[in-house]
Amino acid sequence: MDHEMIKYLAELSKLYFTDEELDDNAIQMTNIVNLMDSIKEIDIEYNPLADNHNVYLPDLREDQNFPSLETSRVLQNGMNSNNCFVVPKVVE
Amino acid sequence: MDITTLKVREMRSLLDEKKISAKELAEGFVSNIKAKDDTYKCYITTTEELALEQAEKAQKIIDSGNATALTGIPMAIKDNVCTEGILTTCASKMLENFIPPYNATIMEKLNAENFVMLGKASLDEFAMGSSTQSSVFAKTKNPYNIEKVPGGSSGGSAAALAAGFCAAAIGSDTGGSIRQPAAFCGVTGMKPTYGRVSRYGVVAFASSFDQVGALALDSHDCGIILNKLSGYDLHDGTSSKNPVPNFTDKIGKDIKGMKIAMPKEFYDDGVSKEIKASVLQAAELYKSMGAELVECSIPSVKYVIQAYYLIACAEASSNLSRFDGIRYGHRSTLGETYEEIIKHSRSEGFGDEVKRRILLGNYALSSGYYDAYYGKAMGLRQLIKQEYNNIFETCDVILTPTTETTAYNCDAKAVTDPVHMYQGDMCTVPVNVAGLPAISTPCGYDSTGLPIGMSVVGKPFDEQTIIQVADVFEKSFTRIAPKLI
Repeated sequence: MDHEMIKYLAELSKLYFTDEELDDNAIQMTNIVNLMDSIKEIDIEYNPLADNHNVYLPDLREDQNFPSLETSRVLQNGMNSNNCFVVPKVVE
Repeated sequence: MDITTLKVREMRSLLDEKKISAKELAEGFVSNIKAKDDTYKCYITTTEELALEQAEKAQKIIDSGNATALTGIPMAIKDNVCTEGILTTCASKMLENFIPPYNATIMEKLNAENFVMLGKASLDEFAMGSSTQSSVFAKTKNPYNIEKVPGGSSGGSAAALAAGFCAAAIGSDTGGSIRQPAAFCGVTGMKPTYGRVSRYGVVAFASSFDQVGALALDSHDCGIILNKLSGYDLHDGTSSKNPVPNFTDKIGKDIKGMKIAMPKEFYDDGVSKEIKASVLQAAELYKSMGAELVECSIPSVKYVIQAYYLIACAEASSNLSRFDGIRYGHRSTLGETYEEIIKHSRSEGFGDEVKRRILLGNYALSSGYYDAYYGKAMGLRQLIKQEYNNIFETCDVILTPTTETTAYNCDAKAVTDPVHMYQGDMCTVPVNVAGLPAISTPCGYDSTGLPIGMSVVGKPFDEQTIIQVADVFEKSFTRIAPKLI
């Protein structure tokens, strides 16, 4: 896996890497993907609609309304002001 | 009285008979933690004051004759379980200061029992690891040998129990994170069927694998704890509506005629000779009790590490996208724009292994790679499930080693090299891929005195039988407690 691919994945992952970290990750991700590549040996198809037996749709409940957490408690772990999360200016 | 060797049910009797008070129990464990946890680093946060308050409240309930199974029982909680008003870090800089505004469902259930919380136990960062050495705050040591890892990711929970720093502990198991540390630390750990216990309020790693479970000194105690944690929760759409039986009801029943499957893939050359010998000796004991040992095969487990890591990391990359430094979690002081703040916050907040798993997950899900990796892994998952189902058509349980080796050194390749780390999970991840219940219990010690664990795997929602089978072995096995330094 080369630097370009790591940079692409870093962008998808919302992460920054220094050049040294890019070097390390290129080596380690190459080793990991080499391990994962043996899965290509097996001839198997997967249809998410027909083959996914992990979720039992009949078991899903109807939507129900419940009280939300108080705003002050929702905000307690973020940088906040006037009942809002503080973020940099997004719109000029 | 040595409280560290008491089972939960023995404590229950002593408490109810007023031979010991809830406060004495809590103070005993707090004292052990204060004396030795600086060395073993099992806890990230200790909650002494709360524990003593809870013990006082529990005592009043005991005195009124209204105690239930866990009233006054001092326990450790893995630090990825949200505890209202109490620091919940996931052993990550990302959540260094995170104080949940709500309780996980399992905490509500434990509090309803009036249990006593001793603290939040260490883990690998975001439960991603097998050694507890990626914890940013407490790199836990194995009580049997301080040079060795306690396993992971619930290494703090397992080591705290083995060291006598709690009576029982809560862990979570995504790919073996309860059973592997239980094996390394010489205690019993149980992962119930996927869906048995609500995941609401447990910080998500891989949602289709994550499952909460218990660690205790034997399987009977695990059953007692899981009786109280299990059941449908409307906050968790994947929790099961299946009725919850009393998990300990089959204890003591004869195992004569029971068929115990032994898949050959778990007894190959990758497993150490001492571990193989210990598990085979346990199998012979079952045979002498009238059980039939059945040789069988699960051919697709050859690919299980790949299937597990591709799916788990894909889910992790999605689950961890919520950590943006805006609503909660580490907020970087760098960056001018919204996007830059998020990237800096995540880059500073996550450790190396967490970042690697996010990268791998995004790789497996990205355009051009999805079918070759994620699609194949999901197909394999169905195949592996089918192969387990085929075995359970004729057998009652499956017996395997829990790990291929005993606890390794804190600087071993299995800690520092991700490929070695992932391959070390060979004996535990198949159970998560198939969503089955499993229990690991000690079955021997290697030549250096390190514990060996064996796993009993059951049919979906048949926790009763694996507890029955593990219990009958435990009754003939003498556990050797670690000698703390």
